[in-house]
Amino acid sequence: MEIYLPIAELSMNVFLLLGLGAAAGLLSGMFGVGGGFLATPLLIFVGIPPAVAVASQANQVVANSISSLQVQWRRGNVDLRMGLVLLAGGMLGSSAGVWLFTYLKRIGQIDFVIAVLYVVMLSTIGLLMMFESLSTYFKRRRNPDGPRGKLHTHYLVHRLPLKLRFYKSKLYISALLPIGLGFIIGILSAILGVGGGFVLVPAMIYLLGMPTAVVIGTSNFQILFVAANVTFLQAATNGTVDVVLALLLILGGVVGAPIGARLAAKLPGVALRALMSLLILLVAAELLTELLRTPSSLYSLGTREVLP
Amino acid sequence: MRSLGLLACLAVLVGATGALAQGPRLEAAPGALPAPTIGGPPDAIAPPSVPNEPTTPDLIMDLSRARVSITSAFQGESILLFGMFDPPGEIVVVVAGPPARETVMRKQRFLGIWLNTGRQAFDDVPAYYAIAASQPLQRLLARGAGGEILSLEDRLSSLKPATPRDAAELARFRAGLVEVKRREGLYPAAIGQVTVQAGRLFRVDLPFPSRLPEGVYDIRVYLLREGKIVAAVSRPLPVGKVGFSAQLAGWSAHEGALYGVGAILMALLVGWLGGAVMRRL
Repeated sequence: MEIYLPIAELSMNVFLLLGLGAAAGLLSGMFGVGGGFLATPLLIFVGIPPAVAVASQANQVVANSISSLQVQWRRGNVDLRMGLVLLAGGMLGSSAGVWLFTYLKRIGQIDFVIAVLYVVMLSTIGLLMMFESLSTYFKRRRNPDGPRGKLHTHYLVHRLPLKLRFYKSKLYISALLPIGLGFIIGILSAILGVGGGFVLVPAMIYLLGMPTAVVIGTSNFQILFVAANVTFLQAATNGTVDVVLALLLILGGVVGAPIGARLAAKLPGVALRALMSLLILLVAAELLTELLRTPSSLYSLGTREVLP
Repeated sequence: MRSLGLLACLAVLVGATGALAQGPRLEAAPGALPAPTIGGPPDAIAPPSVPNEPTTPDLIMDLSRARVSITSAFQGESILLFGMFDPPGEIVVVVAGPPARETVMRKQRFLGIWLNTGRQAFDDVPAYYAIAASQPLQRLLARGAGGEILSLEDRLSSLKPATPRDAAELARFRAGLVEVKRREGLYPAAIGQVTVQAGRLFRVDLPFPSRLPEGVYDIRVYLLREGKIVAAVSRPLPVGKVGFSAQLAGWSAHEGALYGVGAILMALLVGWLGGAVMRRL
């Protein structure tokens, strides 16, 4: 069954899009991060214009994060103060990101930048995850009750000015760090259409030293508002948010996420992470070959401008 | 047997002319230049070179649909153009989409990676361009007396570049433009076949692909005798989104901020409800 996407301006199979949404939801349920970083490249593979894929995916992230924030908030897993500081950076970053996106689109380099950023990001994350899961696997085999890592590590974080006390996270660190982190995630979110949880969550744990319990909830809080900001700005400046596409992805995700969560509870975590890293690396490799392979056509068209 | 066929043809003709009388058709008035007078987009094409004849032969046409509607289920469409003319003569049909500025981008290998390095904008590029004829076009226009009938190559060679550049490069970009448009089905490579029945009734299928730019398309039908245009009619064909798609696209284009807020509210609602429902299952 085909449906015409009014903003992407092409027709696409409904079940393909629902399935894509479900797959992204499955991943987000399994790993607690949004599936956006896989869904956006897949949307581009199936032929959605990159600008529309990114903006509509940001819209999907809004639904995804409100859905998980619901639970986290009730459990009291949100460090509101940290969330707001991150958000301050996130709002700045995403606004700058949408501006950058618009500029890149105008000079005709947006597709290229999206592809390169994805290759860099996916291959980094994929490799890190792969090493982490493999080393966990071998360590556990050698030493089943091995020593746990330190809760906090003390780096540069503690020497920057503008220190703030974050009670829930039991931290006393410079606000500049979460603001900077939020800023970078905001840019990623605007250009790649991802929530950024897969970068934000590890950064909050390893860079800020936040306790794991509040990390997911707090990142969800920041992602919700940043994704809403990206959706709004993309719609207002570029007109690239396709709500029909977003709705199909959201509906698929709503079904996929709880299934993913249940699967994650049953399956061994290490194997899952190894599998996931493999999947991420595959997508990265595919995107890289697209960049390196001689294209079937050297020419493409920019946006049509109807002159008055 | 033969007379029966002729009778059927006549019946069709009567039906067709009946339908034609209702449509907003444009016919060349006797004695006047058969220049199309529709309110379509203006273009730089010169009026046809028609000899000053006392009477212009009759030429009428109509379409199976008055407009191309892009609905939620749109997957491209084929429209039937039909009509009648005073024999003898040959029929040429030219369909041109609305003109706009198009930017052609060219990829180049840079440090092993393919990226857009060259760009060239052209003004007055038709969104769509198709020609159909009842005889091979080259033969019809052999003496160069086709007047305003332009093959795609001729139409595009007159394109004005938005910024000046040397001729060889411009030709390359122009070829690139055609290549992309062909791939999208917007510049059909083959000349369509106009079939003529009973010597005076003609018909042709006009194919429109699914990725069709919106706007008012211009359909012109010419009657040629010995390579010269002796009559012409034209007709605008609006192409546009209708229904829900049109509404959404309109909001997105004109009320971007409001549309954005709506998209966020939709996501919040569906995400919240969906999450709540699925957790209970």
